[in-house]
Amino acid sequence: MTAVASDVSTRRGRSGLRLRRAAVGWGFALPFTVLFLVFMAGPVLASLLMSFTDIRGADLRDPLGVNIVGIDNYSRLLNDELFIKSAVNTVIFVLAGVPLTMVAGLAAALGLNSGLTRFRSLFRVGYYLPVVTSIVAIAVVWRFLLQPDSGLVNSLLRLVGVHGPNWLYDTRVALPALIVMAAWRNLGYQMVIFLAGLQAIPQELYEAARIDGATSWQQLRYVTLPALRPTLLFVGVIATIGYLQFFEEPLVMTRGGPLNSTLSVSYHIYNQFGFGNYGYASAMSYVLFLVIVVMSILWFRLLKSDEGR
Amino acid sequence: MSTSVTTPGRPHRAPEVPEATGRRRTRRARDRVATIVLHAVLVVGLLVMVGPFVWMLLSSLKTEGEIRLVPPTWWPDHPTLDNYRSLFGRLNFPTYFLNSAIVAGLITLGNLMFCSAVGYALAKLRFPGRRALFGLVLSAVMVPGMVTFVPLFVLVANMGLTNTYAGLVLPFLAWALGAFLMRQFMQSIPDELIESARVDGAGELRVFWSIVLPLCRPALAALGILSFLTFWNSFLWPLVVATTEDKYTLPVALALFSVGQNQTKFGLLLAGSVVVVLPVLIVFLLLQRHFVRGIATTGLK
Amino acid sequence: MKTGTRRAVAVALAVALALAGCGRDSGGGSQEAAKPVGEGKAKGDITVWAMGTEGEKLSAIADDFMKENPDAKVTVSAVPWDGAHDKLATAIAGRQTPDVSLIGTTWMGEFAKTGGLDPTPADLVKKDDFYEGAWNTTVVDGTSYGVPWYVETRLFYVNKDVAARAGVTTPPKSWEELKSAIKAFKDKGGAKWGVNLQPGQTGSWQTVMPFVWQNGGDVVKDGKFTLDSPETVEGFAFYKSFFDEGLAPKDLPQGALEPAFVKGQIGAFVSGPWHITVLKDQGGAGKYDLWPMPTKQSGTSFVGGGDLAVFKDAKNRDGGWKFVSYLSRPEVQAKWYKTATDLPAVKKGWDDPALSGDPQLSAFGKQLEDAKSPPTIATWEQVSAAIDAEVEKMCKTGEKAEDAAKAMQQQAVSIGTGT
Repeated sequence: MTAVASDVSTRRGRSGLRLRRAAVGWGFALPFTVLFLVFMAGPVLASLLMSFTDIRGADLRDPLGVNIVGIDNYSRLLNDELFIKSAVNTVIFVLAGVPLTMVAGLAAALGLNSGLTRFRSLFRVGYYLPVVTSIVAIAVVWRFLLQPDSGLVNSLLRLVGVHGPNWLYDTRVALPALIVMAAWRNLGYQMVIFLAGLQAIPQELYEAARIDGATSWQQLRYVTLPALRPTLLFVGVIATIGYLQFFEEPLVMTRGGPLNSTLSVSYHIYNQFGFGNYGYASAMSYVLFLVIVVMSILWFRLLKSDEGR
Repeated sequence: MSTSVTTPGRPHRAPEVPEATGRRRTRRARDRVATIVLHAVLVVGLLVMVGPFVWMLLSSLKTEGEIRLVPPTWWPDHPTLDNYRSLFGRLNFPTYFLNSAIVAGLITLGNLMFCSAVGYALAKLRFPGRRALFGLVLSAVMVPGMVTFVPLFVLVANMGLTNTYAGLVLPFLAWALGAFLMRQFMQSIPDELIESARVDGAGELRVFWSIVLPLCRPALAALGILSFLTFWNSFLWPLVVATTEDKYTLPVALALFSVGQNQTKFGLLLAGSVVVVLPVLIVFLLLQRHFVRGIATTGLK
Repeated sequence: MKTGTRRAVAVALAVALALAGCGRDSGGGSQEAAKPVGEGKAKGDITVWAMGTEGEKLSAIADDFMKENPDAKVTVSAVPWDGAHDKLATAIAGRQTPDVSLIGTTWMGEFAKTGGLDPTPADLVKKDDFYEGAWNTTVVDGTSYGVPWYVETRLFYVNKDVAARAGVTTPPKSWEELKSAIKAFKDKGGAKWGVNLQPGQTGSWQTVMPFVWQNGGDVVKDGKFTLDSPETVEGFAFYKSFFDEGLAPKDLPQGALEPAFVKGQIGAFVSGPWHITVLKDQGGAGKYDLWPMPTKQSGTSFVGGGDLAVFKDAKNRDGGWKFVSYLSRPEVQAKWYKTATDLPAVKKGWDDPALSGDPQLSAFGKQLEDAKSPPTIATWEQVSAAIDAEVEKMCKTGEKAEDAAKAMQQQAVSIGTGT
């Protein structure tokens, strides 16, 4: 290495280029980064510190007057029955909810993107409505749909001779009911992103595929899905994050019951913050964070195309 | 369904090889069936999706007693505008609406600017610290929002920003989720387009402004929709930052009608929800039209 | 994450922890002395937070106050109940509190412990003017940190037709009479369910604890949890028996109670004064009687409501307290009832004919003489959630009352009282 004396001017050129690149890159990134560091990194660091202390609601006025307890908050989690229970519920929710919602959201986007010529906007708005409808109205209507005697769902089931359960008050079916509800509510959100992603796929690819005699299924499999990878990755990560933090549905529909069968980790964290156990709740949040990171890494692995270059 | 497979739509324009014509005819027929099935499925789906919204709309015209009926009714017995009347009468409506519009509008604009700029840098530019920055942004997306809430408030309080628009807007201008979204979309822009523009002598800003951003119209529309939706509906942050009513946003003001479990005024709440939803729908309608193919498809070989 | 970032975080963490290494002061729990407020009219700006309807309607009363105190200007901000707890907690943390706020009675312990509340000045407010149960909600470790503003308590709402058919003409005096009345509602009164009692979940302790108190049990005695005492267990067992005997529903869908009650499918339920309005909305006015709690050792019910507190970080402490003391005058309390239908926490406030002349309200007023509040410990929200969860197990899965009580006690002890 040392022996090779390279041309001084090239070296200067190269480092100049590197400097220029750095300047340009940070030029674009800086406004965001500054705001981000102030308003996001600061509070994140503070809350991370909180998770190593015994800070409670009563200490809020004097946050430095607390004891450092090391990883006690983290090790306590293992003995927290409710945490374990909520973790299991959350895992079920994610494993069932994420694929269900993504398939539904992608199907809706594909359906609305192809073939439909008339009322396209109407359909798009319609599928987006659950995202914007107030959770209060959604809760009322869904409770009505899931009513044991007079509800629509059980009435339909009765037509095919099945005696439907008391959905929200039965420990076995309350969580599945909420999963379906969440998928219904969130698929419009994903549809928007998928719709945008679909526009970026060059039309020529489809034409070429059609000339080769590819069926619609093959076009989906070999053209759409590969080209949609960055979007799929985004939606997958966002859905996983969203569902790992799922919270609103049990809050308005079941309050985590019956018998904690719909208690999620986020709901448990929310309760702990409500109880004023800030240190413990922060620790729980960061455990959830780590799980999210691991799941996201899996997504990146699964869908790596030109990632990580 | 098989009944409609009979005739293909249009007459053929040019003479063709018989064999190919036959195949094309069956394919066209099949396409037609597929279109009909697709429409049928989409219509059924539509009904499932809009049901609760329609109920919300209709129930905002009902009396309190009727809303609470079990089982609920669909059509109002005695349609009335009372809920809307008392909503507009009791709330200082223009103020709250304006506050919401200012806050959500500014945040959305900021997100469109900052997130697309940083997204471009993360997706297409090579600079030291890029991977670390992306890691930080991704991590921020993944941190549960609740955990930073109190520290963020203490920070904003110490900056003297409580009860100001700045306090409501500034913390969300750098939206990590938006940066991630834009980065993902910009990755699918072909490098060749950017390179060729650079070769043609365009400056970096010019490349960004006249090549990259136009290509990103669908993504920007999606970001705009999601950002506006998120921050228009935001409740807890404006609730704690606004210490007097003149800085309340709509969702905060509307929550005044939900008084504990038993005293919730559903009529007002539903009427309020309708009013809150409308701007979000308008933004959606305006922006979704940009879900069309940009030059990305034509500008490529 | 990248190694660089990880290292940076680790370093920052170590530095910050070293800097923060102060630790808790030992002790605490000592009584705090209240500063006097003194004579004279209120002056300057007074900012007030009040939740929900209270916040919306308080301005009317504030106007009267300003007429009496021309140099004072009261600004009321209505705060939604949803998120009110967070708003108060963050405001205390960021020292951005108003001068005065309405505080839910069960939050007093927690917020008093932050050191953010100002002790009640004894020269301004007299303890004996208030219902004892209500006053106790303001007392934390022997010091009062606020003043009860309005109260509510729980009674039995009983469907008249069902009771008539069942041949029950007078309110039951004892637990045995209550049980046989409820049984009769089901057997002879034509009700599908004799009574609706909350089978666990949020807030069910408010319905359960009265039965424990009636039997001489309590949550805390002499600073120690007593959730597994024999008296407590017996109270739980009595509550549970309504479910075991099929007299109370275990999975009533939300919103189904009132229509079923009006139709006579449910014979009775336990609730507070707000149900007068709810039932009126649903066509149930005049169709029910109100029964006081039955007596075992006592006929105790639950008392809740709202307290008013002045903050340590208040900019106008004296003005704030003067406004609070104005709100606890009997005539202002009575006017407040007419404005917001909140029941007076001050006993003399009930002398007004609008209250004393109304038989339904008088029933609540009478029950208030014997009504209790939970202990004002900083961890009450968490302890009560543990009670709710065990009550649910007990009512729904047939867990024994002893076991539920033991589990509650164990959890409560590990949660602690927050001192």
